[in-house]
Amino acid sequence: MKLVRAELFKIRTTSTWWILALVTVPLWALTLFFNWLQTETLLDAELVGELSAMEGNEALAVAAQLENVAANLYTNGQFFGLLMVMVLGILVITSEFFHQTVTTTFLTTPHRTAVSLAKLGAAAILGVFFWLATTLLNFAVTLPILSSYGVDSQLDSGAIWQAIGLNGLAYLLWAIFGVGIGILVRSQLGATVTAIVVYLGGYIGAGTAIILLATRYGDWINNLQVLIPPLASQLMVTGTDLPGNPARWVGAVVLIGYAVVTGAVGTALLRKRDIS
Amino acid sequence: MTHGQQSPSDSTGRIVVSGLTKQYKQLRAVDNLSFTVQPGRVTGFLGPNGSGKTTTLRMLLNLVTPTTGSATFNGVRYADLHDPVRHVGAVLEASSAHKGRTGLNHLRMICVATGLPRSRADEVLAMVGLTPAADRKFKGYSLGMKQRLGIAAAMLGDPQVLILDEPANGLDPEGIRWMRDFLKSLAAEGRTVLVSSHLLSEMQLLADDVVIIAAGKLIQQGPVGEVLHSATARVRVRTPQADALAKALTEAQATVERPEPDLLVVTGADAPAIGRAALAAQAELHELVTDKPDLERVFLELTAGKAGIR
Repeated sequence: MKLVRAELFKIRTTSTWWILALVTVPLWALTLFFNWLQTETLLDAELVGELSAMEGNEALAVAAQLENVAANLYTNGQFFGLLMVMVLGILVITSEFFHQTVTTTFLTTPHRTAVSLAKLGAAAILGVFFWLATTLLNFAVTLPILSSYGVDSQLDSGAIWQAIGLNGLAYLLWAIFGVGIGILVRSQLGATVTAIVVYLGGYIGAGTAIILLATRYGDWINNLQVLIPPLASQLMVTGTDLPGNPARWVGAVVLIGYAVVTGAVGTALLRKRDIS
Repeated sequence: MTHGQQSPSDSTGRIVVSGLTKQYKQLRAVDNLSFTVQPGRVTGFLGPNGSGKTTTLRMLLNLVTPTTGSATFNGVRYADLHDPVRHVGAVLEASSAHKGRTGLNHLRMICVATGLPRSRADEVLAMVGLTPAADRKFKGYSLGMKQRLGIAAAMLGDPQVLILDEPANGLDPEGIRWMRDFLKSLAAEGRTVLVSSHLLSEMQLLADDVVIIAAGKLIQQGPVGEVLHSATARVRVRTPQADALAKALTEAQATVERPEPDLLVVTGADAPAIGRAALAAQAELHELVTDKPDLERVFLELTAGKAGIR
């Protein structure tokens, strides 16, 4: 436990965390803007009815259910929030190599597995901290937005709380994920750039590729979307299960799988690495 | 100690390196190296650049895994020491702190990780004279201040053994003087001090013992006096009758060099023998000096042909 405290102390005593937090706020506001527009559309019952009848899209109709519209707002900012948390996780480990503090760290604690676990733990705590902060912001804006459309808070719905909770799990897992990537790709710049490219590119590129494959080979391929980490985390916060999409828990399982694999492989590598 | 991990079996603070080898793909950086470092003395760890000094120190500290062999403190490997910072303090490179973190926080970070009271950080800062810069960020430190911070970090756990890699690098004369006095005082308290360096004149002032390596292999180990004694003595002779004296000495099996017309450098004969030879050859002596071998000369003699790029 004192190692986790030491890791949190390390983060607290540099400017990294609040720079990332400062970057997160405008990105959060940006996604809020889009989600607000989306809310406007989804709450237009006539329009949604027309669209879903026209395209035969059941998912749209379900997405327009009040609790799912609300869930979307309560978990606003996830897309960039997860990215920031992942970068923070990457920096927790790569900054040690960048600034050569890893020598001090391993001299202080030669048990590298313990160091690695402490870093994973500290990153997870930071992830939850970021989730808590964005969730509080989301509450502050969601309640007035919903009431402006004459919709009540929806907080009596279990689906909302599930979405908020799963969103927290996503933040936690992405932070762990970041630490794993940071060990795999040693260079600070390299790891950060790789992760951002994979995150954004994976979201857009792989998503598009799967839609194209699905039109050719059938709809079942759509279910593979959940294997792409950013899509898996989006699935987790939809409120209720959407027709034509895998269940939310599948998204959680996929992310936990990625986090465990990167965390374990990273730890194994760190144990063997010569520090020179 | 009642902790689960191995505790030192004796507490003298002796370092034992035994058969240590590090094989990289192309290069055997350290080759079957064995030596011991005694407590209560400053031991200089000497070798040309690239001879494996840093790799050896890093293997001692479990930062680099040896291919074979072991290194122990009181019979215990570094990785098996309980709370190693309380037994062994190390100063490896001057730049190993986060640039954006203050010196004081760098030390507190170690306190938090090891359960030492945070007040220890202030104490060791005062010990190395860095208190005025406690709240300045590391990137604003001069090289000398960085070295002092490294020493402060090593002293946090009040360790019995201190290991320093090239600590004099980047220090000004006053800093070097300070370092020398500081390390000597630690050894005088009965601690074990192992210092790597290639600054031989400094080592001659500082070290009680030396361990000399080249190309990853042990060349010589022992007290400085003995190592110096092993060097071949040289005598400088200045005489107007250099021809005659050189002839006489050569006949007496000594080796004679003649860098100047009236100057001979003689090995293989001591000053009294040369004096007698001069008397016999009726040579007039203007100068007869035995060159005190210094560490630099001994070192160059011992490592001749073994240094260089590998």
